[in-house]
Amino acid sequence: MPGPVDLTIWFLGTAFELLFVVCSVARKSFLRYFFLNLYLLSSTTVSIGRFLILWSCGQGSDKYMYFYYYSDALLTLTLFCALISLYSRVFGELRAGEYVKWGAVFLLLGTAGFSYAVVAQSAERLSTSFAYELSQNLYFVGLVLTYILWGAVLKLRETRTQLVQIILSLGLYFSGYAASYALVNFSGKFIIIRYICPALGCFLPLSWSLTMLRYTEESRLVPAHLVAVPR
Amino acid sequence: MSRKLGALVLAMGILVGAMGIKTLLSAKMTGTTMMANGPAPIPWPPR
Repeated sequence: MPGPVDLTIWFLGTAFELLFVVCSVARKSFLRYFFLNLYLLSSTTVSIGRFLILWSCGQGSDKYMYFYYYSDALLTLTLFCALISLYSRVFGELRAGEYVKWGAVFLLLGTAGFSYAVVAQSAERLSTSFAYELSQNLYFVGLVLTYILWGAVLKLRETRTQLVQIILSLGLYFSGYAASYALVNFSGKFIIIRYICPALGCFLPLSWSLTMLRYTEESRLVPAHLVAVPR
Repeated sequence: MSRKLGALVLAMGILVGAMGIKTLLSAKMTGTTMMANGPAPIPWPPR
Protein backbone atom coordinates (compact mmCIF):
# COMPACT_ATOMS: atom_id res chain seq x y z
CA MET A 1 0.00 0.00 0.00
CA PRO A 2 1.19 3.55 -0.64
CA GLY A 3 2.27 5.67 2.31
CA PRO A 4 0.39 8.57 3.92
CA VAL A 5 2.10 11.17 1.70
CA ASP A 6 1.08 9.29 -1.48
CA LEU A 7 -2.48 8.97 -0.25
CA THR A 8 -2.68 12.65 0.75
CA ILE A 9 -1.46 13.75 -2.70
CA TRP A 10 -3.89 11.34 -4.32
CA PHE A 11 -6.94 12.52 -2.37
CA LEU A 12 -6.02 16.17 -2.80
CA GLY A 13 -5.59 15.70 -6.55
CA THR A 14 -8.97 13.99 -6.88
CA ALA A 15 -10.58 16.77 -4.81
CA PHE A 16 -9.00 19.42 -7.09
CA GLU A 17 -10.34 17.59 -10.15
CA LEU A 18 -13.85 17.73 -8.75
CA LEU A 19 -13.32 21.34 -7.69
CA PHE A 20 -12.65 22.36 -11.30
CA VAL A 21 -15.88 20.72 -12.48
CA VAL A 22 -17.83 22.41 -9.67
CA CYS A 23 -16.23 25.79 -10.46
CA SER A 24 -16.96 25.52 -14.17
CA VAL A 25 -20.59 24.60 -13.44
CA ALA A 26 -20.83 27.55 -11.02
CA ARG A 27 -19.31 29.87 -13.67
CA LYS A 28 -21.63 28.43 -16.31
CA SER A 29 -18.55 27.37 -18.32
CA PHE A 30 -19.16 23.62 -18.26
CA LEU A 31 -20.09 23.37 -21.92
CA ARG A 32 -17.55 26.01 -22.97
CA TYR A 33 -14.78 23.82 -21.53
CA PHE A 34 -16.62 20.55 -22.04
CA PHE A 35 -13.55 18.42 -22.93
CA LEU A 36 -11.57 19.77 -19.99
CA ASN A 37 -14.45 18.82 -17.71
CA LEU A 38 -14.75 15.46 -19.42
CA TYR A 39 -11.04 14.81 -18.85
CA LEU A 40 -11.20 15.70 -15.16
CA LEU A 41 -14.43 13.79 -14.58
CA SER A 42 -12.90 10.73 -16.30
CA SER A 43 -9.78 11.18 -14.20
CA THR A 44 -11.86 11.27 -11.01
CA THR A 45 -13.72 8.10 -12.02
CA VAL A 46 -10.45 6.38 -12.92
CA SER A 47 -8.95 7.50 -9.59
CA ILE A 48 -11.78 5.83 -7.71
CA GLY A 49 -11.33 2.65 -9.77
CA ARG A 50 -7.58 2.67 -9.20
CA PHE A 51 -8.09 3.15 -5.46
CA LEU A 52 -10.51 0.22 -5.23
CA ILE A 53 -8.14 -2.07 -7.13
CA LEU A 54 -5.11 -0.89 -5.20
CA TRP A 55 -6.98 -1.39 -1.92
CA SER A 56 -7.95 -4.97 -2.81
CA CYS A 57 -4.90 -6.15 -4.78
CA GLY A 58 -1.96 -3.89 -3.83
CA GLN A 59 0.28 -1.55 -5.80
CA GLY A 60 2.59 -4.30 -7.04
CA SER A 61 -0.20 -6.46 -8.45
CA ASP A 62 -0.67 -7.11 -12.18
CA LYS A 63 -4.31 -6.12 -11.87
CA TYR A 64 -3.41 -2.60 -10.69
CA MET A 65 -0.66 -2.27 -13.29
CA TYR A 66 -2.94 -3.28 -16.19
CA PHE A 67 -5.84 -1.13 -14.99
CA TYR A 68 -3.48 1.80 -14.47
CA TYR A 69 -1.95 1.73 -17.95
CA TYR A 70 -5.16 0.99 -19.87
CA SER A 71 -7.01 3.76 -18.04
CA ASP A 72 -4.01 6.00 -18.55
CA ALA A 73 -4.21 5.52 -22.33
CA LEU A 74 -7.90 6.46 -22.23
CA LEU A 75 -7.16 9.53 -20.12
CA THR A 76 -4.38 10.60 -22.47
CA LEU A 77 -6.82 10.35 -25.39
CA THR A 78 -9.30 12.52 -23.47
CA LEU A 79 -6.53 15.00 -22.65
CA PHE A 80 -5.63 15.09 -26.36
CA CYS A 81 -9.28 15.95 -27.15
CA ALA A 82 -9.19 18.66 -24.47
CA LEU A 83 -6.05 20.12 -26.03
CA ILE A 84 -7.63 20.10 -29.50
CA SER A 85 -10.71 21.86 -28.07
CA LEU A 86 -8.36 24.60 -26.78
CA TYR A 87 -6.89 24.84 -30.31
CA SER A 88 -10.41 25.22 -31.70
CA ARG A 89 -11.10 28.05 -29.25
CA VAL A 90 -7.84 29.88 -30.02
CA PHE A 91 -8.14 29.47 -33.79
CA GLY A 92 -11.95 29.74 -33.82
CA GLU A 93 -11.87 33.41 -34.80
CA LEU A 94 -9.68 32.59 -37.81
CA ARG A 95 -12.32 30.11 -39.02
CA ALA A 96 -9.67 27.39 -38.97
CA GLY A 97 -11.74 24.96 -36.88
CA GLU A 98 -12.13 22.44 -39.70
CA TYR A 99 -8.38 22.28 -40.37
CA VAL A 100 -7.65 21.88 -36.66
CA LYS A 101 -9.99 18.86 -36.62
CA TRP A 102 -8.36 17.34 -39.73
CA GLY A 103 -4.90 17.95 -38.28
CA ALA A 104 -5.93 16.31 -34.99
CA VAL A 105 -7.29 13.23 -36.79
CA PHE A 106 -4.11 12.89 -38.90
CA LEU A 107 -1.99 13.32 -35.79
CA LEU A 108 -3.93 10.74 -33.79
CA LEU A 109 -3.82 8.20 -36.64
CA GLY A 110 -0.12 8.89 -37.21
CA THR A 111 0.68 8.44 -33.52
CA ALA A 112 -1.37 5.23 -33.35
CA GLY A 113 0.38 3.89 -36.47
CA PHE A 114 3.81 4.80 -35.12
CA SER A 115 3.04 3.22 -31.73
CA TYR A 116 1.84 0.03 -33.42
CA ALA A 117 4.98 -0.12 -35.54
CA VAL A 118 7.10 0.14 -32.39
CA VAL A 119 5.33 -2.66 -30.51
CA ALA A 120 4.30 -4.88 -33.46
CA GLN A 121 7.19 -7.27 -32.90
CA SER A 122 6.25 -8.06 -29.31
CA ALA A 123 3.70 -10.80 -29.94
CA GLU A 124 3.21 -11.23 -26.22
CA ARG A 125 0.72 -8.83 -24.58
CA LEU A 126 0.55 -6.68 -27.70
CA SER A 127 -2.49 -4.68 -26.57
CA THR A 128 -0.88 -3.75 -23.24
CA SER A 129 2.35 -2.64 -24.89
CA PHE A 130 0.35 -0.73 -27.51
CA ALA A 131 -1.73 1.09 -24.87
CA TYR A 132 1.44 1.99 -22.97
CA GLU A 133 3.34 3.13 -26.07
CA LEU A 134 0.38 5.10 -27.46
CA SER A 135 -0.06 6.84 -24.12
CA GLN A 136 3.60 7.89 -23.98
CA ASN A 137 3.74 8.98 -27.61
CA LEU A 138 0.51 10.96 -27.34
CA TYR A 139 1.97 12.65 -24.30
CA PHE A 140 4.94 13.90 -26.33
CA VAL A 141 2.64 14.97 -29.17
CA GLY A 142 0.63 16.88 -26.55
CA LEU A 143 3.82 18.50 -25.31
CA VAL A 144 4.71 19.79 -28.80
CA LEU A 145 1.11 20.84 -29.47
CA THR A 146 1.01 22.83 -26.23
CA TYR A 147 4.22 24.68 -27.08
CA ILE A 148 2.81 25.51 -30.52
CA LEU A 149 -0.36 26.74 -28.82
CA TRP A 150 1.74 28.91 -26.48
CA GLY A 151 3.36 30.42 -29.57
CA ALA A 152 -0.04 30.95 -31.22
CA VAL A 153 -1.39 32.65 -28.09
CA LEU A 154 1.56 35.06 -28.14
CA LYS A 155 1.40 35.63 -31.88
CA LEU A 156 -2.36 36.17 -31.99
CA ARG A 157 -2.16 38.31 -28.83
CA GLU A 158 -4.84 36.30 -27.15
CA THR A 159 -6.34 38.33 -24.29
CA ARG A 160 -8.92 35.94 -22.80
CA THR A 161 -7.44 35.44 -19.33
CA GLN A 162 -9.15 32.12 -18.58
CA LEU A 163 -8.05 30.57 -21.85
CA VAL A 164 -4.48 31.88 -21.61
CA GLN A 165 -4.04 30.64 -18.04
CA ILE A 166 -5.50 27.23 -18.83
CA ILE A 167 -3.06 26.86 -21.74
CA LEU A 168 -0.11 28.08 -19.68
CA SER A 169 -0.93 25.61 -16.89
CA LEU A 170 -1.13 22.79 -19.41
CA GLY A 171 2.27 23.78 -20.80
CA LEU A 172 3.81 23.79 -17.32
CA TYR A 173 2.22 20.41 -16.59
CA PHE A 174 3.65 18.82 -19.74
CA SER A 175 7.03 20.47 -19.20
CA GLY A 176 7.13 19.15 -15.63
CA TYR A 177 6.53 15.62 -16.86
CA ALA A 178 9.14 15.94 -19.58
CA ALA A 179 11.65 17.16 -16.98
CA SER A 180 10.85 14.26 -14.63
CA TYR A 181 11.10 11.82 -17.56
CA ALA A 182 14.55 13.14 -18.43
CA LEU A 183 15.57 13.03 -14.77
CA VAL A 184 14.55 9.38 -14.42
CA ASN A 185 16.20 8.35 -17.66
CA PHE A 186 19.47 10.03 -16.77
CA SER A 187 19.58 8.92 -13.16
CA GLY A 188 17.96 5.50 -13.69
CA LYS A 189 16.10 5.85 -10.39
CA PHE A 190 12.36 5.29 -10.60
CA ILE A 191 11.94 6.48 -7.01
CA ILE A 192 12.53 10.09 -8.15
CA ILE A 193 9.09 10.31 -9.73
CA ARG A 194 7.29 8.67 -6.82
CA TYR A 195 6.13 12.05 -5.52
CA ILE A 196 6.85 14.34 -8.49
CA CYS A 197 4.38 12.78 -10.95
CA PRO A 198 1.39 12.55 -8.57
CA ALA A 199 2.13 16.11 -7.41
CA LEU A 200 2.06 17.25 -11.04
CA GLY A 201 -1.25 15.39 -11.32
CA CYS A 202 -2.49 17.68 -8.51
CA PHE A 203 -1.04 20.82 -10.05
CA LEU A 204 -3.08 20.79 -13.26
CA PRO A 205 -6.60 20.61 -11.75
CA LEU A 206 -5.58 23.03 -8.97
CA SER A 207 -4.30 25.67 -11.39
CA TRP A 208 -7.34 25.26 -13.66
CA SER A 209 -9.65 25.55 -10.63
CA LEU A 210 -7.88 28.72 -9.44
CA THR A 211 -8.26 30.15 -12.93
CA MET A 212 -11.98 29.39 -12.86
CA LEU A 213 -12.33 30.85 -9.36
CA ARG A 214 -10.41 34.05 -10.04
CA TYR A 215 -11.46 34.95 -13.56
CA THR A 216 -14.67 35.07 -15.53
CA GLU A 217 -15.04 34.51 -19.27
CA GLU A 218 -15.07 38.29 -19.72
CA SER A 219 -11.69 38.82 -17.98
CA ARG A 220 -9.05 40.14 -20.34
CA LEU A 221 -5.25 40.41 -20.17
CA VAL A 222 -3.29 43.47 -21.17
CA PRO A 223 -0.60 42.30 -23.66
CA ALA A 224 2.91 42.78 -22.26
CA HIS A 225 4.92 45.65 -23.74
CA LEU A 226 7.74 43.28 -24.64
CA VAL A 227 5.40 41.07 -26.65
CA ALA A 228 3.27 43.79 -28.23
CA VAL A 229 5.61 45.04 -30.93
CA PRO A 230 4.44 48.41 -32.32
CA ARG A 231 3.49 48.34 -36.00
CA MET B 1 -1.44 22.70 -52.10
CA SER B 2 -4.84 22.21 -50.48
CA ARG B 3 -5.35 23.20 -46.87
CA LYS B 4 -6.15 19.62 -45.88
CA LEU B 5 -2.82 18.51 -47.30
CA GLY B 6 -1.22 21.36 -45.36
CA ALA B 7 -2.87 20.06 -42.18
CA LEU B 8 -1.53 16.56 -42.96
CA VAL B 9 2.01 17.85 -43.50
CA LEU B 10 1.85 19.91 -40.29
CA ALA B 11 0.54 16.91 -38.33
CA MET B 12 3.38 14.74 -39.62
CA GLY B 13 5.88 17.46 -38.74
CA ILE B 14 4.52 17.63 -35.20
CA LEU B 15 4.69 13.83 -34.92
CA VAL B 16 8.31 13.78 -36.07
CA GLY B 17 9.16 16.59 -33.63
CA ALA B 18 7.42 14.83 -30.73
CA MET B 19 9.15 11.53 -31.39
CA GLY B 20 12.44 13.41 -31.72
CA ILE B 21 12.02 14.94 -28.26
CA LYS B 22 11.08 11.54 -26.85
CA THR B 23 14.20 9.95 -28.35
CA LEU B 24 16.34 12.81 -27.05
CA LEU B 25 14.99 12.54 -23.51
CA SER B 26 15.20 8.76 -23.42
CA ALA B 27 18.81 8.57 -24.57
CA LYS B 28 19.58 6.41 -21.56
CA MET B 29 16.34 4.50 -21.60
CA THR B 30 15.83 2.41 -18.50
CA GLY B 31 12.36 1.19 -19.29
CA THR B 32 10.78 3.42 -16.68
CA THR B 33 7.64 5.41 -17.29
CA MET B 34 6.83 9.06 -16.96
CA MET B 35 3.39 9.17 -18.44
CA ALA B 36 0.81 9.41 -15.74
CA ASN B 37 -2.57 11.02 -15.66
CA GLY B 38 -3.91 11.90 -12.26
CA PRO B 39 -2.39 11.78 -8.81
CA ALA B 40 -2.49 7.98 -8.27
CA PRO B 41 0.73 6.12 -7.32
CA ILE B 42 2.53 4.87 -10.44
CA PRO B 43 3.13 1.11 -10.80
CA TRP B 44 6.05 -0.39 -12.69
CA PRO B 45 5.48 -0.22 -16.45
CA PRO B 46 4.48 -3.40 -18.37
CA ARG B 47 7.48 -5.41 -19.62
